[in-house]
Amino acid sequence: MNFEAAQLDRSIPGNRKPGDASRWLAAIVESSDDAILSKDLNGVITSWNSGAARIFGYTAEEVIGQPVTILMPPERFNEEPGILARIRRGERIDHYETVRRRKDGTLLDISLTVSPIKDAEGRIIGASKIARDISEKKRGEAALREANQKIAEVNEELKRSRENLANEVRARTVELRQTNEQLEELVYTIAHDLRAPLRAMQGFASLLMSEYGSKLDETAEDYCRRIVRAAGSMDTLVRDLLAYGRVSRVELPRKSVSLQSAWESAVRQNAQAIHEKQARIEVIPPLPNVVAHESTLVQVFANLLNNALKFVAPGVTPEIRFSAHFSGADAVKIIVQDNGIGIERRHCERVFRVFERLDGDRFPGTGIGLSIVRKGVERMGGVAGVESEAGRGSSFWIELRKAA
Amino acid sequence: MDNDVTFADPFGQRTILLVDDNQDDVFIMRTVFRKVGISNPVQVLTNGEEAIHYLSGEGEFADRERFPLPAVVLLDLNMPRVNGFEVLKWIRWQPGLKRLIVEVLTASSRPGDVERAFDAGANSYLVKPSRMEELIEIMTAWHQLMNFRAFPVFPAPGS
Repeated sequence: MNFEAAQLDRSIPGNRKPGDASRWLAAIVESSDDAILSKDLNGVITSWNSGAARIFGYTAEEVIGQPVTILMPPERFNEEPGILARIRRGERIDHYETVRRRKDGTLLDISLTVSPIKDAEGRIIGASKIARDISEKKRGEAALREANQKIAEVNEELKRSRENLANEVRARTVELRQTNEQLEELVYTIAHDLRAPLRAMQGFASLLMSEYGSKLDETAEDYCRRIVRAAGSMDTLVRDLLAYGRVSRVELPRKSVSLQSAWESAVRQNAQAIHEKQARIEVIPPLPNVVAHESTLVQVFANLLNNALKFVAPGVTPEIRFSAHFSGADAVKIIVQDNGIGIERRHCERVFRVFERLDGDRFPGTGIGLSIVRKGVERMGGVAGVESEAGRGSSFWIELRKAA
Repeated sequence: MDNDVTFADPFGQRTILLVDDNQDDVFIMRTVFRKVGISNPVQVLTNGEEAIHYLSGEGEFADRERFPLPAVVLLDLNMPRVNGFEVLKWIRWQPGLKRLIVEVLTASSRPGDVERAFDAGANSYLVKPSRMEELIEIMTAWHQLMNFRAFPVFPAPGS
């Protein structure tokens, strides 16, 4: 802000008269919103514009001739010697943010620019000070800081909530797992305890028949057979329920499984029925590997094969075809086709439900076998279904991911 | 190791220790033993605690003439007081009994139980079938196997 009056004189259009520049300058200074004042090298105020009067509350008459320290709160007095020293060295102080005091004693934030004033010979004779009221800006900054602080607090709170939530989820998961384990334990205990009396019923009825056969008449023997049969089906029921529970709950880690060997295991499990019914089983290559849990896949095939052997019309020799087909980019559709009694189309979904039986009189069973098939396949990430018509055999299919 | 094995004492005369808390199962087992021609003396104990007392020859079981060490223990898992796993572990810790043949005979086919039993030192694991015919089949095969089996000789109890 080192005004060179002569320079300014030249820049004022159509004006060459000395003295005009001073008036022009005075008008600019007077109209400024900022406080503009000057002081001598002793720190005594020598000029005071209306901006200064408005900002500090002193009139020019009140402050001219006063030390500039009357604008300072006492704790800031120590700033003045430093400022004066820099001015004497000819340095300028730019946008120095500090606190000053109004006439009424209130404090205000200002941004201060102090520049040396030189006489015609270039000697430093004082300083001009431009003070801008930045209380508003400071308040804004404070508000911003406060807002940022709030945001930080809210963030902190959010983070805490998230951690609490995560902890809670973790705790609940542990609880759930424990409950699951306890349930499983309970199911096994119940199953174990249920089967003990069944063994006794079956065992003693069998013993009655084998050891007292000669003393039993036909009716008594029939009763014994009924006890054995009833206990046997309840035992199957408990066993199937356990299998269903296991396939529903237990982790089924998957790996590449050979369809060929899984099917062969299922055939071995059904060897007796296959032999009794003289069933014809055709395996159509190629059989790729699929992503599955091996023993679950074997159980799925065993159940499907068991059904194919069981649900045939009297006198019909079971004919079963086992085949695999690529389906889409990475799936394999496996089909177990039979020549059995078939399923009416409207019942095709029902057969997969737990305890669902369509013809319990002719074909006794627990109604769990196909539930195990579907649940097991689903737990291995696949789907299971059936295409069938009454009297025309059934094609049970499952779709699993192809092994890489 | 070869010296530990002998055929000198045929299985037929040696004691079978049956540890099972289910009286019906015990009765049926005894009947099946008779049916399949197993004529060995059979000692029955109804819980794990008794089994440990018997095997260590304590109290009423001190008389080894009457209560000899068995050729084989048929051990149920699910029993009150001391269960089968605990009996197994205890047996394997006894220097005089660590080679005793212990076969689990239980209703549980639970994979976890099978693994625990073998971890605890079981020599075999049989699941009790529900059907009489199956049990007879199993025990017939078992009897044949036992007649061909070599048994370790026990050091004197307490050694």
